[in-house]
Amino acid sequence: MAKQGFLKSALAGVGLLRKANAPDFPGIDDPDPENQGTALFRRGRYRMRAGEVENAVKDFDRAIELLPDYAEARVSRAECLDMLGRAEAAQPDYVEARRLWAAERTGAPDRSYIWRQQGRLTFEVESYELALERIKTGSFPHSAVGNALMAHGRPAEALKAYERALKIKDKDPALLALKGEALSAMGRYRSAVDAFSASLKAVPRAPEVLSGRAVAYAALGRIDKANVDWRRQLSALPEHQAAARACVTMRLGAWTEALPELERTIEKAPNDPYWQLYRLTALKRLDRPVEPVDAPSGDWPAPLFALHAGKATPETVLAAATTEGRRMEALFQLERFKDVAETAPPHMIEYAAARNELGR
Amino acid sequence: MFSVIIYGRNDQHGYNLHKRAAISFNALAEVMSDPDDEILFVDYNTPDDHPTFPEAIADTLTDKAKQHMRILRVRPEQHVHLKSKTHLVALESQSRNVALRRSNPKNRWILYTNTDMLLVPRTEGESLSDILGALPDGFYQIPRFEIPEMLWEAAFDRKDAAGNLAKLRDWSVRFHLNQVVHNFMPMKYDALGDFQAVLREDMFAVHGFDESMILGWHCDSNLAARLALYRGRVDTLMDKAFGYHCDHTRVAAANNKGRKTTMNSHDKYIWNVSSPYIPEQAETWGWPDVKIEEVRLDRDTSYERYVAGLSQAIEPATVPFTNTSVEWHLFDDLTYDLRHTLPFVCDQVLTYPKSTSILVAGCRADFIQRFATAWRGMGFTGPVLVPQEVGLGVDDPAIKGGRFGDLLKRADLFMFEFGLTTQKIDDPVRVGREESLADRRQLKAVERLFRRAASTEAETRPKGRQTPRRCIGVNVIYNRYWPVFTDYISANINPFCAQVLAGIPLAEPVTMKEKVILKFKKKKAS
Repeated sequence: MAKQGFLKSALAGVGLLRKANAPDFPGIDDPDPENQGTALFRRGRYRMRAGEVENAVKDFDRAIELLPDYAEARVSRAECLDMLGRAEAAQPDYVEARRLWAAERTGAPDRSYIWRQQGRLTFEVESYELALERIKTGSFPHSAVGNALMAHGRPAEALKAYERALKIKDKDPALLALKGEALSAMGRYRSAVDAFSASLKAVPRAPEVLSGRAVAYAALGRIDKANVDWRRQLSALPEHQAAARACVTMRLGAWTEALPELERTIEKAPNDPYWQLYRLTALKRLDRPVEPVDAPSGDWPAPLFALHAGKATPETVLAAATTEGRRMEALFQLERFKDVAETAPPHMIEYAAARNELGR
Repeated sequence: MFSVIIYGRNDQHGYNLHKRAAISFNALAEVMSDPDDEILFVDYNTPDDHPTFPEAIADTLTDKAKQHMRILRVRPEQHVHLKSKTHLVALESQSRNVALRRSNPKNRWILYTNTDMLLVPRTEGESLSDILGALPDGFYQIPRFEIPEMLWEAAFDRKDAAGNLAKLRDWSVRFHLNQVVHNFMPMKYDALGDFQAVLREDMFAVHGFDESMILGWHCDSNLAARLALYRGRVDTLMDKAFGYHCDHTRVAAANNKGRKTTMNSHDKYIWNVSSPYIPEQAETWGWPDVKIEEVRLDRDTSYERYVAGLSQAIEPATVPFTNTSVEWHLFDDLTYDLRHTLPFVCDQVLTYPKSTSILVAGCRADFIQRFATAWRGMGFTGPVLVPQEVGLGVDDPAIKGGRFGDLLKRADLFMFEFGLTTQKIDDPVRVGREESLADRRQLKAVERLFRRAASTEAETRPKGRQTPRRCIGVNVIYNRYWPVFTDYISANINPFCAQVLAGIPLAEPVTMKEKVILKFKKKKAS
């Protein structure tokens, strides 16, 4: 099933290797482990393609030493070992990579899919850059690179990638929405609203785009407009997307509506402690009795469960909140809505929920 | 744990399809270990008078394959709205989406593959259900390895799935079969459509396959591009399983015309994909409101239905054989052996939907009576429509009477029987019997209804129906109703012994005038 279209692709790959006789891997000597680790990964992948598999393994070894959670490097090393006939040695790397990716907490299910991507995505960026050697009239590699950069917290670079994609596919509603997400992440909320609005003009009921614009409106202080978009998003979300529906209703502070959605979500994902936590929150906001819940293990969000059970003080909970996000979660559970509304990032569920609680 | 989704139709798609598919179905079932696992085969646009493809090869499938397989039959009438837009007779996106919509909601994974693939877990004894059950959420592909045609054709035993997988383990080493063909992202490997494991939930979220892709090819790459956006990554499952493809290039498949192959746009559907979603089909993908028939191979099979119907309608023979004759002087004798003919008649209807309404106009009351009994026994729920103009006074729970003009508009299928109304079940057959006045009157009435039905078929179709309705003729071979029937119906030449012809009405009936002109032309030419 060789496809004629891929003939060109194959030739482009040959051209790239020929051009790249002495390729440069910026950051290979960088003292920063992240930069050096990713550069080693890229060189390892290059060596894999060039047939220098043993040398590639060395690069991946070093990258993993520097960045033990580097799942992409583990999979690449596993593939090399597998190729060398060392399938048993490869197995732990395959397993560990999957464990690392699965352990990452992803973005809320009501937001754009780009916030739910896991890993460094360096393999993907490298692959799409390779594809761009041939694909001159396709927007896909640009937007895919943009998405990876967004996942890395590099919205300014992502914006450039999306704009390159938009040059190829002018006014494309999906690309406009991605641009809106990049602008929003950069704090350029007015421009973000414009980009989302342009996208929604073409596809008015796109749930994730409505969510993006709602977040940007909320950040601009227009919680009324944000709520309108969230309501529209809720009506556009199918029943089976209970998790997304739960998130939207929580942003709206609509706890009566949130409760059944949360219960359906828990049925599907009983091991995710956040859904249990949000259910406790909903019950509390509705003044309903709360039955005891098994607190999860680990350092977070266990303290929040302890708080609900009356086994932790506000001080201990805040002390355990070691990141900005956790602190916002803690403040929300402590019902310090004003603090949350003033300091939380607008994309957090707690931010919108706090704003709506304050507006009551 | 997982639903395998594959599609095809009862035709000849590439070299030795029957063997390839049997090997593949059996091998897929072999690596299933969860009772919820299923092989969803969408039988797309097989002609109504044919069985589905898996039914046609059921004898070559293992019990395990039959137990896990659910056949979803998409009828030609359900495809007809797309017919003018594509040169293809089976559509991948529509098929796969019809199956996805109807897949077992208990299953976490959907596995997209094709009917010529064998999946071999790298750890012997491990099932694909075990492998997928232990996997975190994601989008997984594996590379495809080729099996030379000679190997699978000559050395595989269709029903020995475990033995075939063991052979592959051996051949992969002996014949260096395992070559990974890498590809540009998002198509991690070449021929990626032969193994894409996706969360069922993800497939629903992205609205399934793109149903605007109706020209063939790249549906798999489009899905990969969209899921690569959605998930961010395409993961490999190469450490757990290898996929082997039964190479079939001796004969090009219908959708492969070399460099002249018509395809979906590569640029539009891969390199310019900008969203995982397809909002324009969000509500309609997989035809949620269309009733799709489900066929099983492990219960309520066509054969079981056939036996059940006939055993209610006819009793077993009491003599070793009976006689009839095609001798010339018997051309006008319209007697026939009903008990012998009925099995061939039932054979004509069994592949139709159970809800079919069949209009039956005949000369012999015992024919209509026994056919109605068999019809019910075969599990049909639609009525047997008998026009009051036939006037035989037959009573049966399946029979609904009415004016011929009204029944024409309700029928999905026609049957006209040309026998002698005076013939009794044990009367001798083809011994030179003369027609009585009553016979002649009845034959005339049925012939008139037949001509009307056949010549107005297009105008009298039930509302919304676009495909022509099939017409079955009983006792229309080698007697004077042979030319009458074939003047109107495009029927094949069938053996006399079967007594039955069938086909769809000709756009223009062959008239006597045309026949004369043709004869004249031929004479002139010679």
